Amino acid sequence: MSFLKPKEVIEEGDTVTLYLTVNSMHAIEATPTIVNKKGETIEYIFQTSYGALKVRNLIGVTYGSRVELSKGWAYVLQPNPELWTQTLPHRTQIIYTPDISMILFQLEVRPGSVIVESGTGSGSLSHYFLRAIKPYGHLHTFDFHEARVQQAREEFERHGLGDFVTVYHRDVCQLGFSNELEGKADAVFLDLPAPQLAVPFAAKTLKTEGGRFCSFSPCIEQSQRCCIALQEHGFTEIRSMEILQQEHVVKTRTLPVLDLEFLKHKKPSSQKLNESSTNESNETADTVKTPKETKKVLTSSAPPTLPGHTGYLTFATLPPAFVR
Amino acid sequence: MTKTEVNEMSKIQLGDYIVIQRQKYTKLQKFGNLDTTSMLGKEQLELRGLLDQPYSATFKMCPKETTPSKQRGQRNLRLHTLELCNELEMRDIRDRLGISASGADNRDIIDDGDSQALRPQDIEDLREQHSESTKIIEKIVENSKTFHAKTEYSQEKYLRKKEKKYFEFVQIHRPTLRLITEIYYRQDADKVMGMRMDTLSQLISYSGVSAFGNYLMYESGTNGLLPASFLNSMGAGTEATLVHMHPGNVPQKQAMLALNLPHEQLQRCISVNLYSVLREYYQGEGQESTEVATEPSTPLEEIEPSSKKQKLNDDDAAPTTTSSTSSDSNGENNTSPLESSVNIPVQAQKWQVENRRACELMRAKFDGLVIAAKEHPSNIVQALLPFVKSSRPIVVYSQSKEVLMDLHVELKSSSNATNLHLTSNWLRYYQILPNRTHPEVNMNGNSGYLLTGYTIG
Ligand SMILES: C[S@@+](CC[C@H](N)C(=O)[O-])C[C@H]1O[C@@H](n2cnc3c(N)ncnc32)[C@H](O)[C@@H]1O
Repeated sequence: MSFLKPKEVIEEGDTVTLYLTVNSMHAIEATPTIVNKKGETIEYIFQTSYGALKVRNLIGVTYGSRVELSKGWAYVLQPNPELWTQTLPHRTQIIYTPDISMILFQLEVRPGSVIVESGTGSGSLSHYFLRAIKPYGHLHTFDFHEARVQQAREEFERHGLGDFVTVYHRDVCQLGFSNELEGKADAVFLDLPAPQLAVPFAAKTLKTEGGRFCSFSPCIEQSQRCCIALQEHGFTEIRSMEILQQEHVVKTRTLPVLDLEFLKHKKPSSQKLNESSTNESNETADTVKTPKETKKVLTSSAPPTLPGHTGYLTFATLPPAFVR
Repeated sequence: MTKTEVNEMSKIQLGDYIVIQRQKYTKLQKFGNLDTTSMLGKEQLELRGLLDQPYSATFKMCPKETTPSKQRGQRNLRLHTLELCNELEMRDIRDRLGISASGADNRDIIDDGDSQALRPQDIEDLREQHSESTKIIEKIVENSKTFHAKTEYSQEKYLRKKEKKYFEFVQIHRPTLRLITEIYYRQDADKVMGMRMDTLSQLISYSGVSAFGNYLMYESGTNGLLPASFLNSMGAGTEATLVHMHPGNVPQKQAMLALNLPHEQLQRCISVNLYSVLREYYQGEGQESTEVATEPSTPLEEIEPSSKKQKLNDDDAAPTTTSSTSSDSNGENNTSPLESSVNIPVQAQKWQVENRRACELMRAKFDGLVIAAKEHPSNIVQALLPFVKSSRPIVVYSQSKEVLMDLHVELKSSSNATNLHLTSNWLRYYQILPNRTHPEVNMNGNSGYLLTGYTIG
């Protein structure tokens, strides 16, 4: 129930983000016991790379606290769409925060908006829509994969979001978004292999006062077909873009500093002509022994691997009916 | 909302902020009264014709009788009225001109700078005679020696260029956060601290702002864009509140006002001076009246740069707005604590009420902290972090990476926050046309930077 609004204390049934390191987070349900494969009810012990966690102990703990693991510790954070996207069980490819933020911004989603989405997939984007439209709006989300529909439904329910979302099992490319939703949506979002087939239905489901549209496609050909369909169905302001977020890894580095100045001048002792060769070897030995000068520098660098492509976002406006 | 309310809302009303669009150019304008005019390049538009017309409609710019005493030098300024036009008038310019017979490539084009037979003066005169851009462009095309030798691609480009110059239709939109952000960034990115749309959209996400919770923001000059984004996400008729701290005497509010939000919603943005509210929080009330006036002088300077170049409201004749624009240009900063305390000494003034409301929320603590500072953010973060609950998002925006690198190190060693990430963005637009798909030629390389994390402990 931890997605509805900000809260302070972990209650039984909450989904909790267990934060180990920047690269290691888990979503776990705060429940004292679970049912194992043999059908027995057993104590819920969660295994992490820093050892085991007795999940029962999380209940009653304040969000943001440090909790002990058998071989270390972690922080418990209240989950939100950003943390959820990084920890959710993947049932499909998902969309991540940078693209999603632009989708919400361009679709002008706000509390009260009615949104139509397809496909639901793993519900990564749906969670952001739900945060943004609560408490007066509604999300109608469609997928033609029955198991995903069921899983999404249960997940929204567990997260306390059930009241704001309806999950439909339906092929939207063939059947559209249903007659009941005709003229109901402020915005339509598509993440489908053939978005162009759903565009005519999108035009029907948007309100008569008009609305916004977005399609996310990994391949440019899909976007091309989508753009043509949008034009044919009276959409305007068709705009396509690509966003990549870059991470900057901040590190303080300690760098050795070389002294090269002294090479320009002979040492006073070495000015004695006949001793020059022995002195030189002494000198090298000296510099090795004396502690080297170092400098601390604050640096930022790109991580070794980073996303090179996510997808193309195509946005469009459906004007109000009187000017279509 | 009832049906009639919706209908009322979709009609253009006096007092509304509106977005005027002429082809790709968009502009924010307050429709303050019937005499309000707006400048679009060299064209001056009388807005009176917009009253009670529906939003999203298209209007034709109709040249107004020019005064006989008109001098030659003033010819450049043209006055227009706006008339609602039907969509048939909007047919594709290419169809109306009936252009055909394009060359296969541009081998026959000689650009001798003399390919246009009309002199600039001739074109000026044409504009006086015809109001329709298509007529003017038709004449220009007729007199172009090279037009028919151009490839279809360059013909289209040529037409689009001409069309842009002489296009006589404008569309009126209701301002939305998306449109306002775009306008501000294009007009003067410095005035919104270089906050690009993609970065702003992520700042909103990471901050967690929604219809639930109380949020704390420090912002030193985004023309109200940042608090407007928050109000937009907090929604109408919800329980969310925002304490908006700023360094000046008067908060910049234009973007907030431009969203035409209900009073109730605007009320949930509590704008307070950073120094004043912190002093009241720690030292109690009463310290205020004597000392506020002596706040460091920087705050005032923070407001001014953004208003001097401010052109959004050129003809905004309504001095009732508290936006930095109108107050500064008329020199009537009279909502400043100093002056108002002189004028109305008895009643609790607005800023005192707001300080009180803010302090109350500070004692209860916030569900998120956002900072977009022109100053170094370290001390601000340090001062405001104690007011944020545990396990809540922190987002700090800066135009330069180095500033946030410093802060990253400080926060990391303070163990007040975890999951710290420093990010920037890369945004590329695409032209998607059959057989002519490619990224747009120009990119904007400056997204700004975000440092995000969560409070712990
Ligand atoms: C990539 S996933 C969507 C991921 C989702 N946006 C997220 O962020 O979690 C695409 C989904 O679309 C569904 N889908 C594909 N074609 C469909 C159609 N014609 N009608 C309904 N759903 C469809 C698939 O079953 C799949 O679950």
